[in-house]
Amino acid sequence: MRGRSIYPICHWRLPAGLAACDYRLVPLPPSANLLPPVLSPRPVTNLQAPLWRSIAAFRFASLAYAAVSLLLPGRRAVYMHWGWAWGVLAVMTAWTVATTLLYRAPLYTKPTWRIRLLLAADVLVTAAAVLSTVFVQWPYYVRIGTMPVTATWLAGPALAWAVVGGVRAGAAAAIIIGGCVMGLRHLPAAKVMASSDVGGPVILLMAAMLAGYIAKLSSQAEQAMQSATEIVAASRERERLARTIHDSVLQVLAMVQRRGAELGGPAAEIGRLAGEQEAALRALITADDSMPPPDGELDLSAQLTRDAQAFVSVVTPAAPVLLSERAVWETTAAVREAVDNVRKHCGDGAHAWVLVDDEGTEVTVTIRDDGPGMPQGRLAEAAAEGRLGVSHAITGRMRDIGGSADISSIPGAGTEVRLRVPRMVQPNGQAALRWRDASNDR
Amino acid sequence: MRVMIVDDHPMWRDSVGRDLTEAGFEVVATVGEGAQALRIAGSVRPDVVVLDLQLPDVSGVDVTRGLVAAHPDIRVLILSASGEHRDVLDAVKAGAAGYIVKSASRAELIDAVRRTESGDAVFSPGLAGLVLGEFRRMAVSPDPNTPRLTDREAEILRMVGTGLSYKQIAERLVLSHRTVQNHVQNTLNKLQLHNRVDLVRYAIEHGLDSAPD
Repeated sequence: MRGRSIYPICHWRLPAGLAACDYRLVPLPPSANLLPPVLSPRPVTNLQAPLWRSIAAFRFASLAYAAVSLLLPGRRAVYMHWGWAWGVLAVMTAWTVATTLLYRAPLYTKPTWRIRLLLAADVLVTAAAVLSTVFVQWPYYVRIGTMPVTATWLAGPALAWAVVGGVRAGAAAAIIIGGCVMGLRHLPAAKVMASSDVGGPVILLMAAMLAGYIAKLSSQAEQAMQSATEIVAASRERERLARTIHDSVLQVLAMVQRRGAELGGPAAEIGRLAGEQEAALRALITADDSMPPPDGELDLSAQLTRDAQAFVSVVTPAAPVLLSERAVWETTAAVREAVDNVRKHCGDGAHAWVLVDDEGTEVTVTIRDDGPGMPQGRLAEAAAEGRLGVSHAITGRMRDIGGSADISSIPGAGTEVRLRVPRMVQPNGQAALRWRDASNDR
Repeated sequence: MRVMIVDDHPMWRDSVGRDLTEAGFEVVATVGEGAQALRIAGSVRPDVVVLDLQLPDVSGVDVTRGLVAAHPDIRVLILSASGEHRDVLDAVKAGAAGYIVKSASRAELIDAVRRTESGDAVFSPGLAGLVLGEFRRMAVSPDPNTPRLTDREAEILRMVGTGLSYKQIAERLVLSHRTVQNHVQNTLNKLQLHNRVDLVRYAIEHGLDSAPD
């Protein structure tokens, strides 16, 4: 059987998760929520985790930068209380560790009161650290806009707000922190807006809004991935169940067919019907949907098998025989006409075989029956008399698709119709042939 | 002659077992699982194993491979539903001696078991189509070791594929019955040999031939 279901379906890995998985993100149908708990796939990895990791990394890096900027030559002169500045740095370090731990775990989907509290505290601590610059730096340096004691560390809460609350929350936090930085200078608003120092807060604002946008995208992607895995898991399970159930049905139908044929009489008719149903049902469930043929092409074998009646054996290669849609329809119709002809002329007891032979550049379909056959020259005779009937219909169809039909018969050994279908060379470089190879190499 | 039946459907196990017993075969075991079949094959020593490809535990292809590897004198006849093309082909490449569909009549089944025992390849039209298709697929391979069909073999496979009996083919081609049979058997041997060579090459390429450290 094709397509055994294997769990897990896909290993989600981040940050390359989205790129590595080829599932298209589809809108969630209402049925997807109705999965029984057993079928629920494993939870999708939190896409926001890497965002939190980068915020933590940013905080630590900024902390190191702030420390270095305290140690740089000449910087000591800026500070009124150099020791206190180290105290502020100690608080910043403690807060960095605390936020790294607290923001790490939250696999929440909506902001809870705990996370709100944490976010509020984050802004308050950071604002306090920024404002403490007033007490540790000489007022002159504060007024001319020297870098505050927090250095770039102050961006942390703005990014955190953005990841939790989106663009607006991020912007709000960025404005609060930026306001604190500008407020340090005790300048009138108009002067602040005109000064070049506004650049830092503006960049902070932009970074926060960008982070908010990315966070929103990632949470949407996460939801879509979750629903996609659920849909895949559900359909795999349905397929597996269907296969088990159908297999039992098929076994019974095959048995009815076999026993019916042995018993004969009316039972044989029941057996014949069971055989037809078996073939139809099997063609349906073994249809390989995992790799649909390229646009405009169909599998001739599948079409012929689906079309076959009980007295016809369709013999095909294991791999799909891909031809253009038109060629498949015309060939299937030609085969149907030949087979109907067998039934009409050879009676109920006759059997027919349809052999599909894919020779690469052309496909040959041979229809043979075990009827009485025709004396030689009978077809030519009929053609001469203008009574072409079925052979005309068949050759006409084949000629339409650039092929040919050849009918031969030996009295006592049945009639053989051989159809040749040329395979069109694809303008885009034999896509069909390549696909065939791929499907064979499974 | 000793026969073992492997099928997960009790209905089929019983029915096939009854048919074969009535026909004078000694049904030495009927089992529903592939692993069990592999386990007991050595002790019940069947001549022919009638094997369904759809088993709940081990795939029929693997059962075939295991049986043929462990007991080269056991012949495997695949009795399977129509439409499992890929599996049938794989089982035959793995060493199964023949294939017959489940919808075949009792007489056809008995004949197939008898022929399998005597060493003939039981070539239903369906199997001929699969073998022909496999050679056609391999024909595009540039590898010089790829087996090819001779024109005569291809012609005969096509005739088997359209339901002609060996006798009818022999008459049409003016050959002896035995020659036709040899040609058919030959195609199967080429395929199985190629499969074994492929497996060995795969093993060497992946370092499976050396002993573990």
